[in-house]
Amino acid sequence: MDARVSVVETTKEIAGTEARASARSSFLKKRLGRFAPLLVLGALCLLLGLLNPSFFSLRNLIWGVANQAAIPLILSMGATFIIIMGSIDLSIEGVLCVGAMIVALLCTNDANSHHFGWWGPLLALLACTALGLLNGLVHVGLRIPSFMATLGLWFVGLGIGTVILGGTAVRVLDPHIRGIAFTRILDVPMAVWIAIAAFLLALLIERCTRFGRYVFAIGGGEDIAKLSGVPVARTRILAFTLAGFFTGIASLLASAQLGQANTTIADGRLFMTITAVVVGGTALTGGYGSVVNSLVGTLTVVVLANGMVLLGISPYVHETVQGLMIIAAVALSVRRGAQLVIK
Amino acid sequence: MLTVEHISKRYGPVQALRDVSIDVRPHEVVGLIGENGAGKSTLMRILAGTVQPDQGVIRVNGTAVTLRDSRHAKACGIAMVFQEQSLLLNMTVAENLHLTQEGEFTRMGLLQKRRMNAAARAHLSRVGLDVDPRTQVGELTFAARQMVELAKALALEERTTAPLTIFLDEPTSVLETRDIGILFDRMRSLKSRASFIFVSHRLDEVLQISDRVYVMKDGAVVAERPADAVTVSELHEMMVGQELHAGYYREDRQGLPQEGEPALEARGLTVRGVFQGVDFALRRGEVLGVAGVIGSGREELMRTLFGFLPQTAGTLTVNGRDLVLRSPTEAVAAGIGYIPRERRLEGLVMDLSVAVNMTLANLDVAMSRNIIDRTRERAIAKDWIERLHIRTPNANQVCRNLSGGNQQKIVLARWMTAKSRILILDHPTRGLDVGAKGEVYDLIRALSEDGASIILTSDTLEETIGLCHTILVMRDGSITGRFDAPAGAKPSQVALLEQMV
Amino acid sequence: MANAGIDRMSPGLLFDRVRPYTPVLLLILLLLGIGIAQPDFLRPKDLSVILSDAAVLFELAAGMTFVIMLGGIDLSVQAGASFASMVVAELLPSVGYLAFPITILIGLVAGLSSGFVHVRLRIPSFIATLATGGIMTGLSLLMEAGQSVSLQQAGRYQCVWITGNLILGIPNVIPIACVVALGGLFLQRYTRFGRFSAAIGAGEPAARAAGISVARYKIMAFGLSGACAAFGGVLLAAKLGSGSPDLANQLLLPTIAAVVVGGTAITGGIGNIGLTVVGTLIVSIVRIGMTFLGVDIFAQQIVFGTALVFAVFVTIDRSKIAIIK
Repeated sequence: MDARVSVVETTKEIAGTEARASARSSFLKKRLGRFAPLLVLGALCLLLGLLNPSFFSLRNLIWGVANQAAIPLILSMGATFIIIMGSIDLSIEGVLCVGAMIVALLCTNDANSHHFGWWGPLLALLACTALGLLNGLVHVGLRIPSFMATLGLWFVGLGIGTVILGGTAVRVLDPHIRGIAFTRILDVPMAVWIAIAAFLLALLIERCTRFGRYVFAIGGGEDIAKLSGVPVARTRILAFTLAGFFTGIASLLASAQLGQANTTIADGRLFMTITAVVVGGTALTGGYGSVVNSLVGTLTVVVLANGMVLLGISPYVHETVQGLMIIAAVALSVRRGAQLVIK
Repeated sequence: MLTVEHISKRYGPVQALRDVSIDVRPHEVVGLIGENGAGKSTLMRILAGTVQPDQGVIRVNGTAVTLRDSRHAKACGIAMVFQEQSLLLNMTVAENLHLTQEGEFTRMGLLQKRRMNAAARAHLSRVGLDVDPRTQVGELTFAARQMVELAKALALEERTTAPLTIFLDEPTSVLETRDIGILFDRMRSLKSRASFIFVSHRLDEVLQISDRVYVMKDGAVVAERPADAVTVSELHEMMVGQELHAGYYREDRQGLPQEGEPALEARGLTVRGVFQGVDFALRRGEVLGVAGVIGSGREELMRTLFGFLPQTAGTLTVNGRDLVLRSPTEAVAAGIGYIPRERRLEGLVMDLSVAVNMTLANLDVAMSRNIIDRTRERAIAKDWIERLHIRTPNANQVCRNLSGGNQQKIVLARWMTAKSRILILDHPTRGLDVGAKGEVYDLIRALSEDGASIILTSDTLEETIGLCHTILVMRDGSITGRFDAPAGAKPSQVALLEQMV
Repeated sequence: MANAGIDRMSPGLLFDRVRPYTPVLLLILLLLGIGIAQPDFLRPKDLSVILSDAAVLFELAAGMTFVIMLGGIDLSVQAGASFASMVVAELLPSVGYLAFPITILIGLVAGLSSGFVHVRLRIPSFIATLATGGIMTGLSLLMEAGQSVSLQQAGRYQCVWITGNLILGIPNVIPIACVVALGGLFLQRYTRFGRFSAAIGAGEPAARAAGISVARYKIMAFGLSGACAAFGGVLLAAKLGSGSPDLANQLLLPTIAAVVVGGTAITGGIGNIGLTVVGTLIVSIVRIGMTFLGVDIFAQQIVFGTALVFAVFVTIDRSKIAIIK
């Protein structure tokens, strides 16, 4: 026990010695860095507007940007808390697949004769939250790094989803659930309102609850947090549960927007979520970031995708561009010399 | 009000604390001094509640308590102020001050920032720190962080009925002289509210602020003195104990360094913000000591010489060539070897065998036609095991299972295998028992007789003086003194100490 | 420290002695169990199905072993393999046999880039490879607008060295995998790269302080993983007769599982190619066994996901990570 502690202390000591020299003049950079993601988003919008004026049309802004951003935004809300803790959740696609499947199979659909209406989404939300809880329990209880624990659940979730769906698509016929995608309030689709609500909820949790403080405390220095009496295990489990909850909301929107649940409903979501969080400026090393950053990040990613469509660029380039964005964003946000060993 | 009675603590074969008794009276500053390994940090951990003593009693206001964990220790009125490490740099001052105490500021599960910040402002004014509680701690200076720590410790006052004792661990090592003055002013004015235990390496500061001083050595309290009846040099003598006979450091084997071109020469060596203008020449066959307190820059100088922390200015000449060592790889290529302070972390790859560790820096000796020849590798290892008297069942033994002294010899064997002629020994005897230390001293003498050049830092001045030909003293990143230490005419510790603090 | 030492000694000693052999025992038990329940399963014909399935998986797992030994992870192997299948299918008609070395070279370069991104830009490996994997997937989608490419008649002919049965009717992929395994073993035991990888994985600060160029060997390991993934993709393309952007998508999980189930710890340092051979066989037997029993291929993912978490739980060296993120 003690040997371990001393090793950690020394690592810090050594890293600290070497970092101290380089970490001095970063104050201005930090200030500038805080608004960089927003500047990038602004510049991107401006550029797209110049290249194709229809980008700024209300129709495109609502349907091409806001509506497209709804699901990624909700997913990135949960992921933000986990990344601020310095962990990662790779299970998003698996959990979302399970949720979407439950929604589709329990409401009026073309595969069975159930029509439980809103009980479906509720159950899906519960199931996703439970899967998030499972993530947290496996990660904390078995003391396995989160990327491994959630990698496992990613595939377990996908497996469950596909087995039950049997490899086919199940169409959602329930008009109320489909309505989430079409109903408009003040000309803005329901899905966008739900995403805004999710964002406000996440913001409230981040800014105004003890849990929010503890997430930052753990990300800033878990050993210090533990010494100060922060309930680290409970907070970690709760954060993964919360991520599961947000994924549950997203699964409802996904099945409503797509009008069906199929095995590929979650494809690419993980990638997009992590890109959004990271591009927004939340550091993978933990401790710094906000759901507001993730909002900016999500919009950046979605605007870019929208712009590529408007400019007639192949949608297949998108994944490549996202990959490059992750690399650039993380590379720019890493505080050099702060960490001795990166794995 | 806080008394520690007959506390003992043992870690395996090491007796960390032996029958330690200390008492802290109301409105008092108690100084606690001792060399590394004297037991100060174990005592601190016990009082912080993170380590349990094997024997002995802790009393708060006369009642015996068992400090279960850090939370409980705080409830008993014992607060810790670490150098800066217990603050979360990514959070605001207010959030740090109230961490885990947010319950006081919640209404219907939601935090009320305004009240948190107002309370924080009150805490800060008590230590005379004028910063916005909404500032991120990472943006504060080291001195300000120290004050935030102090404010955090004082905030306990409201949460416990027990009298407050604040344990300050090396609070001055990261502070500038002016800030130390401010800290001491605050401590004096806060004596009416709390008592302090003040731990420092700088004996003059301890005397300046304390009312009484406890001296620890080898896990025991060896003296207790009122601060106004004792001098720095007396304290120092008590701290290091009586002079050992000259033979302990093999002074009779201390030869003369070779004349001619130095093996390593530094001119104006600087790492911005850490140390500056360091000049020295290391001759063949010489043992050069670097002395200085924590924060003097000597630790960083060692790491610069091995490529961990490249210099930002000045020149480093190794065997006649001007170099900037950008990585340990380059240092090894230049013929430099390094014995790190932390053997377990940086010294050996603990889960690999003795033989593999010995050839790690120069695998070529064990290769034939670009393929590792395991038989040859084992033969080389066996040779070193015999020559250095390394006690291991065989060359395939995993290093983790060997004793500290034998591990240290394996590190040395590695650099001999790599034919390094310049060796940087960063606390080479740390954590070794007396017998193993003696063997390391023998090896150091043998190496320098053989013409190798050695730079050495050590936990004790005594060891530095005993082993070295020349000693550099560093303070605040500069060299403040140079001493010749030929056999039979060694400088005194007090003379060195005057340049250190 | 002493307490922890003692704790680890008493019950741990026996377990630590047995632990290295558990994968082998598991493999033997699996074979015995199947042999009793379904003797047909062990006929040469069925065995060769298992082995050739294992062979392709092994190429990916072999490369991954080096990365995991260093304490990193490569989440881009499936993307790399799919990408390679597209490249080789595109190249075969125009450059013939040269397509094979070119594809593997491209895989090597892709892997080296992943390593570069991870090491030089200081990005954790699982994110770095997730990103580079995404880039590769994007490129393979772009190549034929998301469609797959058939190898055509001539291409199939050029792949006979992979798909044929040269010796005693054994599918060629099996001896090919053996060659890769021996090559990996050689690299690990007799070269600087193997030695230094082990040292870095077991104690990166100590390896650095011994003057080992940590960055270079890490990047090399990722390069090797990329090359192996590309080779696996080539074999897969040859077997299936086409290249496709999602050809190997199902293989990431079995690949990591094969390495970890074999006993290589994700914390690095402990492990070798031999263990991965055993791990791959276990994974393949379970996979084919489940298919044999009629378990849906996607349901198998549930099993592997769970097995992976369990294997990580057993093999991980927690003394190496003070804070589990």
